Amino acid sequence: MSTLDVGRRGLLAGVAGGAVALGALATEALEHEVVAGTLQGSLPRKVDVVVVGAGIAGLVAARRVARGGRSVLVVEARNRVGGRVLNHGLDTGGTIEAGGAFVGPTQDHIKRLARSLGIATFDEYVTGKNVYVSSTLGRMEFKGTVPPDPTILLDAAVALKTLDQYAAQLPVDAPWAHPRAAEWDRITLGEWLRAHTLNAQGVEHLIRAWTQPGFGADPDQLSLLFVLHYIACSGNETTVGTFERNSDTAGGAQESRFVGGSQRVPLELAKRLGRRVALRAPVTRIAHVDGGVRVHTRRGVVKARRVIVAAPPKQVLGIDFAPGLPAGRRALLQQLQMGRLMKCDAVYDKPFWRDQGLTGFGISDNGAVRAAFDNHVADTGHGVLLAFVGGSTWAQYGTRSLAERRAAVLQGFASMFGEKALRPIEYAEHDWTRERWTGGGPTAIYAPGVMTTHGHHIRTPFRRIHWAGTETSTYWTGYMDGAVRSGERAAAEVLEKR
Amino acid sequence: MRARALAPALALIALLAPSAAPAAPAAPAAPAAARTDGETRVFARVGAPGFPAYVHVHPGNGRVYAATYTNPTGDTMPSRVFEWTAGGTLQRSWTVPGQNRKAARGVQVATSDARGRLVLLEKSRARVLTLNVRNGRFQVQATIPDLPGRGHPMPNYAAWGPDGGLYVTDDGQDVIWRIPAAGGMPRPWSGSKRLAGTEFGTTGIVYEPSRRSFLISQQSTTDPLDLMRGHLYRLPVRADGGPGVLSTLWTSGPLDLPDGFGVARSGNVYVALLGTNQLVRISPAGKVLARFPKRPLSGANGSPVPFDSPSNATFQGTRVLVANQSAILGTTSHHAVLAVEVGERGAPVFIPSRARLR
Repeated sequence: MSTLDVGRRGLLAGVAGGAVALGALATEALEHEVVAGTLQGSLPRKVDVVVVGAGIAGLVAARRVARGGRSVLVVEARNRVGGRVLNHGLDTGGTIEAGGAFVGPTQDHIKRLARSLGIATFDEYVTGKNVYVSSTLGRMEFKGTVPPDPTILLDAAVALKTLDQYAAQLPVDAPWAHPRAAEWDRITLGEWLRAHTLNAQGVEHLIRAWTQPGFGADPDQLSLLFVLHYIACSGNETTVGTFERNSDTAGGAQESRFVGGSQRVPLELAKRLGRRVALRAPVTRIAHVDGGVRVHTRRGVVKARRVIVAAPPKQVLGIDFAPGLPAGRRALLQQLQMGRLMKCDAVYDKPFWRDQGLTGFGISDNGAVRAAFDNHVADTGHGVLLAFVGGSTWAQYGTRSLAERRAAVLQGFASMFGEKALRPIEYAEHDWTRERWTGGGPTAIYAPGVMTTHGHHIRTPFRRIHWAGTETSTYWTGYMDGAVRSGERAAAEVLEKR
Repeated sequence: MRARALAPALALIALLAPSAAPAAPAAPAAPAAARTDGETRVFARVGAPGFPAYVHVHPGNGRVYAATYTNPTGDTMPSRVFEWTAGGTLQRSWTVPGQNRKAARGVQVATSDARGRLVLLEKSRARVLTLNVRNGRFQVQATIPDLPGRGHPMPNYAAWGPDGGLYVTDDGQDVIWRIPAAGGMPRPWSGSKRLAGTEFGTTGIVYEPSRRSFLISQQSTTDPLDLMRGHLYRLPVRADGGPGVLSTLWTSGPLDLPDGFGVARSGNVYVALLGTNQLVRISPAGKVLARFPKRPLSGANGSPVPFDSPSNATFQGTRVLVANQSAILGTTSHHAVLAVEVGERGAPVFIPSRARLR
């Protein structure tokens, strides 16, 4: 995460927030410890299972495989672990997340894993009202999911209820098998909204404030079937997924965060795996050979009985497979696109919006900040506002200079929470489109036609190669919980093989 | 476990059956130690096409399997087989190939064989299939013959017998079929007229090695004096492998429609009552020990999903897993596997080493 504006006030505040600054240092120390504890030197010639990718999915898979009594090696292209989960230590004290951060109800797998690693959660601040900024009606405050904009209120409520009803019918494991799958996969969410709402533009603006942070994309880029599946996934085996559970803070997927930052989860996992993790080892080729698989990395070649590939879908295309991947899987990977997203955080002396009775959550139909969250760090006393800049908003602002973007983001915060937002003590941002080994974020997205044509390849093993990664999950795909689930499932697949 | 045609009696049940419950927030599972007898929770909801009719707990890998069964208003999707971990996490699913799209579709995971493959009973073509979950390979093992003048074949439940053969109840033809241990043609093994039903005939079947006999449930009979009552029969296996004399262990109440069942180590039998939305605990001597819930029809069990055509009771530890079919109302939100604490362990599933099919 690049950082600006660590002024004298910020430095002083950082010293004042010593306890939490220590927390950030502790996280940094953990990272150093983890990196130092990974495999140095040459790779082993042979293991039972190679896991490609040291994100949460890969590390969970590796841990399960190891616990199942098999030898395992995780090979990671980067010089860190965590994939799309990345901590950022603020100069003014405390740790925030540059990548995946939030957890919520029904995300039982990531929560259980974190608990087992000794990582606690804390709730997002939700006391007060949210803010909605409309380019036609101006600024208004509200409670709940849908802003009380009379021009869209009824429209949006009916549309969301319909989406929930459709999603409830969808098999989370096979959305392409639903009788209406082809119909829903022919159109985008945007097209559907325009056909089913009176004030289509208004509702689309509102929904964009959900799709840009959630998918890094706009409604016109997303297959309706894919969006319905995403909603259906926002639950678990006992609780039906809903739009609200996906979009909300309290009671929703943004309900809480991990103390010390979400990257503590993969760091703690990697710490336990130790020398079974090799960093700076990008995989170039995976070849099936007699009775096994040969995995070629920049650090050497490892032979294994099985491979779990836990890399973002597009990254898999950078690997040379022998024999080549099945045409359907290759087509799926080619047609999936990563969302475009960056996270921008502004740190303030105090969370001044709380004094105004505001939660710090805001949505807007214009400007650089379409969705804002109170991203506070416990105990620093500082306030942090977080903006997701995704999809077409990323296209508009993500390519500008840092100073221009910073000004636009702060202006967006100011339009929601007042002029004080223009004067942060620190500003930081992270652009996931620039991450070489991720290529975007927060998840891979399906354009119309892809899910019904190629979606069924998403989890299908290819000979001795198995697939993990949040995109392969049946629930909470695109989230940390989905990553954990996918790692557990892939490990189970491997362990049942002789 | 099926709704072949809705008889007037079922219309009555439909009127009294549980209505769709509003979506309830996720409730954390109570610790096992805190569970009380009859405590019910949702193990997992069953996605489209829904209508689960049986649950199999794999004795080898401990995972839980169920498939989707017939939608009485018409099937629009191929049947699917789901795999959950023992804790209820959805792991994988498979689409059942080769179904007759013009016929009513439905599959149940009846048991597993000695190789660990799942044994599936497929309705649209009356087939017995195996599914190797390690590689996703389906294999047709047999097709249940259509006996002249006896209705249409409808494989319903299955259990392995002492000779390693697979014994399959046939809801449509009132026959118990035997498929040899090494695979091959199904042959009628037992065709007692007492197994004939009105709308619903022979359903569940479990082999009890200690008694060298099968327990067989029947939802209703053709006896005009006993029309709406079902039965739990005991059918010994003679030394020569043939069927012995059928005896009645228990006769149900009117409209109970007993369906699949499980046997505890104590010998108690837990039977799902599809008609009255209850579970009944029956002693080894055939005495009713308890019904849960006590009142029929409402299905209220304390969980967010009421019993709604419960179709089986498969042991998993000290609880039984119940496929909630909602066969009559077709309430999608009721399609689930429910876990009901019963306070005792189930008898081991009988899978002899010879039970390998092809």
